[in-house]
Amino acid sequence: MSKNFRTLALLTLTSVTILSLIGCQAAPSTAPAANPSDEKSITILVGEDPPSFNPMVADTGYDALVMELVLLGMTDIDPNGTVFPELAAELPTVDSGGVVLDEAAGTMSVTWKMRQDVQWQDGQSVTADDVLFTWNAIQDPNTGSWIPGIDSIDSVEKVDQYTFKVNYSAIYPGYLTQFGGEQLAIWPAHYCDASQGFVAWDCGRKPLSDGPFVLQDWVEGDHMTFLKNDKYYVAGKPEIEKVTVQVVPDDSVRKTMMQQGDADIDMWINVNTINDLKDSQVAKVSLSPSDRFVMRLFMNEAEKGTVDAEATPHPILSDVRVRQAIRQAIDVDTINNEIFLGLGHPQWTEFFRPPYNKCDVPRPAYDPEAAKALLEEAGWTDTNNDGVRECHGCASAEEGYEMHMEFITYAEYGEPLELTQQLIAEMLGKVGIKLDLTVVEGSVLWADAQSGGIEQSGNFDIDIWDDGYAGVDPTDYIWENYSIEAATPGFGWNLARWKNDEFNSLIEDSYTLDEASRQETFCKMAKILDEQAPEIMLFTVPNADAHSSRLEGVQSTVNDLVTWNIADWKIK
Amino acid sequence: MSDLAAIKGTPEYPHPLESQVNLVGNVWRRFLRHKGAIGGLVVFGLLIALTVLAFVSPYSPTASNLPERFEGPSTAHWFGTDALGIDLLTRILYGGRISLAVGGIAVAISLLIGVPIGAIAGYYGGKLDSILMRITDAFLSLPPFLVLILLAAILREVDIPLFQRSSVFTISFVIGILSWMTFSRLVRAAFLTLREMDYVNAARALGASDLRIILGHILPNAVGPVIVEATLQLGYAIIQEAGLSFLGFGIQPPTPSWGNLLSDAQEHFIKYPWLAVFPGIMIFLSIISVNYIGDGLRDAFDPYKMLEKVGEYT
Amino acid sequence: MTTYIARRLVQTVVLLFLLSIILFALVNLAPGGPLSAYGQGRRLRPEQAEILKRQFGLDKPLPLQYVSWLIGNDWTRVDTNGDGVADASGSRLGILRGDFGFSYRTRKPVLDEIGQRFPNTIYLMSITMGLALLIAIPIGILSAVKQYSVFDFIATTFSFAGQAIPEFWLGLLLIIIFYVWLRNPFTGEPLLPPGQMSGDNPSLMDSISHLILPVLTGALGWVAWYSRFIRSSMLEILPLDYLRTARAKGASERMVVYKHALRNALIPIVTLVALDLPYIFTGAVLIETIFAWPGMGRLYYQAAVERDYPLLMAVLIIGAAFIILSNLLADVLYAMLDPRVRYSE
Repeated sequence: MSKNFRTLALLTLTSVTILSLIGCQAAPSTAPAANPSDEKSITILVGEDPPSFNPMVADTGYDALVMELVLLGMTDIDPNGTVFPELAAELPTVDSGGVVLDEAAGTMSVTWKMRQDVQWQDGQSVTADDVLFTWNAIQDPNTGSWIPGIDSIDSVEKVDQYTFKVNYSAIYPGYLTQFGGEQLAIWPAHYCDASQGFVAWDCGRKPLSDGPFVLQDWVEGDHMTFLKNDKYYVAGKPEIEKVTVQVVPDDSVRKTMMQQGDADIDMWINVNTINDLKDSQVAKVSLSPSDRFVMRLFMNEAEKGTVDAEATPHPILSDVRVRQAIRQAIDVDTINNEIFLGLGHPQWTEFFRPPYNKCDVPRPAYDPEAAKALLEEAGWTDTNNDGVRECHGCASAEEGYEMHMEFITYAEYGEPLELTQQLIAEMLGKVGIKLDLTVVEGSVLWADAQSGGIEQSGNFDIDIWDDGYAGVDPTDYIWENYSIEAATPGFGWNLARWKNDEFNSLIEDSYTLDEASRQETFCKMAKILDEQAPEIMLFTVPNADAHSSRLEGVQSTVNDLVTWNIADWKIK
Repeated sequence: MSDLAAIKGTPEYPHPLESQVNLVGNVWRRFLRHKGAIGGLVVFGLLIALTVLAFVSPYSPTASNLPERFEGPSTAHWFGTDALGIDLLTRILYGGRISLAVGGIAVAISLLIGVPIGAIAGYYGGKLDSILMRITDAFLSLPPFLVLILLAAILREVDIPLFQRSSVFTISFVIGILSWMTFSRLVRAAFLTLREMDYVNAARALGASDLRIILGHILPNAVGPVIVEATLQLGYAIIQEAGLSFLGFGIQPPTPSWGNLLSDAQEHFIKYPWLAVFPGIMIFLSIISVNYIGDGLRDAFDPYKMLEKVGEYT
Repeated sequence: MTTYIARRLVQTVVLLFLLSIILFALVNLAPGGPLSAYGQGRRLRPEQAEILKRQFGLDKPLPLQYVSWLIGNDWTRVDTNGDGVADASGSRLGILRGDFGFSYRTRKPVLDEIGQRFPNTIYLMSITMGLALLIAIPIGILSAVKQYSVFDFIATTFSFAGQAIPEFWLGLLLIIIFYVWLRNPFTGEPLLPPGQMSGDNPSLMDSISHLILPVLTGALGWVAWYSRFIRSSMLEILPLDYLRTARAKGASERMVVYKHALRNALIPIVTLVALDLPYIFTGAVLIETIFAWPGMGRLYYQAAVERDYPLLMAVLIIGAAFIILSNLLADVLYAMLDPRVRYSE
């Protein structure tokens, strides 16, 4: 009897414990599954939590998405690539006197005038002090971060409450978006704790808003809620009163929710989703009017696992003829039309975006026979008839070395990129180049060299992903991808480790405000890139966001996240 | 899922004098009485035959055929075609080879680690036993799926001999290295009982070496529960591979596996349901048949219904 | 008994210590370090990476990193600004003093992160497992009592099927059926939401509707597992002598089954449930991903993908501690419930 009693007692105890645990949770710490039928409230779906509101830290896209809701920069870029002022009262130019050049010394200074009617949500004005505060936090050598052109800035000084001046030690053509754009916001000096450092401060997760919305609630892993900012400087905006950012990790579930009319925005949708939403009554797709991200092959010119293309050249890829043959063997149109539904645009030069798209670079032909001939000429033949070429008199491999490499891509893009990878491997297989396919996380592919990042530590042969420069100025991007300095072992941003002295001096020439000269320099660069093929550009990928049909004013853009103009959105 | 073998104490074993030949014969006869097991055996045998005969298919499992993307089932393509226009049936058949190989290799790795550890611990006892059992405990204390994710994530991004990124062996190894503990416990429990048996003492007195006693005299009598457990783990490994594929850590396309076919299909679940349904059915059939075989074997190995618990609990 | 528990606890500590070393090594061996979260690496300049490494203490040899993770670094001087000079006392207390460090991703204390997700996982998993038991117990008993009957065959097949369906596949299937295809006949809205935790001030019905799909998906495997287990527990007990005695004394078969057999068959079930308690901590990655449930499984998965070492280590170690303690609990429960078991010293 007593044994049975004990059994029962224990069972009861167990169930009481479980029930009480449930009881504690009966009102879980959640969530406005914001009823999207609400007149003035919308739901934005994201795949994961943003790490913070500061995209300068991690650049996941989700952080930039929510930053646009609460924080402003000096300027931003619209979908067509035109820079427009946010906190700035006007854009400083040479003509307006805002930019003063010292041609002799090769320096310049830029004077920014700020709007005087922008307030933080606590009522304090947004002033030049906030800009200086943000700048000081960024350039702190120990706790700071990095922005394009940071090395060209000598100092930033306050002129008056709403004016500040940036002194450059060089000519820096990208100055207009340096204190704005999709990544950098101005942070409140009176609110953020500078001693915690720019990338770590608490206000990065509990921001003080000067944007259209104010963060109200953040339940991690589940959702964030934002309410309209009554102090937003544009009168009568935003029209939407409440924004819920809901985390839904699985993309097919996100797509299904859009199709069911249960959400208003699904950012960065891929072509499969574009196709599936084509005929939807409740969801629409917004495509960016301009292109930025180009699917491209990065080919390591140093041997896999090494970083010095001169000391240890890649046995296969260091020969320019091999790279050209690879380019000829890939049928870009087929991939674009079949996998990307023709929504991409074939591209073959870095200089395809306005205003620098005026170079005459002929499109390379798809010609597998020519590719084979080129490989033969380069000393790669298939004498044992196993379908894979071997080195017989090639430039930098031992006799008999197989044309067999690893081909990597990243997982997050999803099926279209993986199919592209498979098709390219098949196409190259037909000309005798054997590729083993690998898919890895982007965070490992792109990590810095010391952390074992696959690309920067040179631990790859060929990889493919979509890359392109932010904003309208390619100069920094060209430097990062193709300069000799960026190819040094410690640096590794020049993933191909491609070094070309002539090209390098052209990069230096391009740091000027003389547009005609820049145009000419870029075209010279385009010619070299076309001949040398350090990267093989394939086609631009469609940049698209899905939105509910009831939402008006949504415009996808390659220059920013879809929320760039959320203050202008309207609900029908 | 959990391990109760230790709590339940040591089961009793059939009398060792029953000759091996008879044992096998009896097991087989009893197995044949289990209808579910026979069904399972037939289905599983059929699946293996089909995957072996995959080469009969007129289609290539990897060569794309873009004009025929996403075609529904037809007389030309019984199971339809996939995102690259490849015949899905062909991919499923070749994928079966991979999935079953992952299961088989994973179980083999489990056995290769678990059985020797259990045998040595149980036979020698003492310090060696407690060290080996602490190691077993340590592995049992790892949150299984979490460590599986971690290992798969690490191994798919390093590139070392034997463990090529996302290779069949790598995935099987990751699954196997985390599931050998049941074997070592089962085998140890059997050895603890059997090592003191008269016939073992007799063999020892006759000068048989430890190795000979372990392999020749004790292990054969512990083989029942091990086989039962191995069949169950085979199914478990196939499911694990599918789960890893869904998280992006599985076998890498274009090599098909049931797991990656299934997880690739999820994006097209509504529009092209056959992509998800057919690989799902294959996984389902293979695991259910393996489970029935395991069930039958358990009954067959255990005329006195005493060993059932051991297999069940682990 | 007390001595036994004490000895087991000591063993637990030793075991956890060993595990922590293995796990620490494993986690830190992974390529793509925590710095990869910063500017996706591409933007991180070599000298900045150096500074960050020094600040995080990642420049130290691995054993030293382990020591400061375990017992803290307030006994030594560290390089807080990353300039290469150890300039201040360390501030970490180490896990032994309850400091699991900061998440690299969010810079929040790891325990805060876990504290936010843990309740959500308990909420989902305890209901899932509770429901599974409620369904599994009658199924298990019936199929044991009617061994080899049609019901037994169906139940067996069902439980094998429960183990043969990948969770993510079942989850998506259920979403398509109950969220896409089926509609609420009155409102025309989808019959059930695709998981997710419920909204502001949820009504009970609302909370339940959000729970149904993830719980069903998760419970299927557990029902299969528990019902098989209960069936064989019952099968073991039914032919035993004391039941024969009870039958001989004229007790009805129903009485025998429910009063005598079931109680004893429940003993191993109690211990089994105790053994499965860790799942209430670690959650279910696949279900949480499909159903957008902000639980431990997803937290861990994200940390694994992003190499958030402190968070990874904390979840693994706490998870391991849960498993070890649950094992101990199961043993103790079993000893208490079953007088046949005595633990010798």
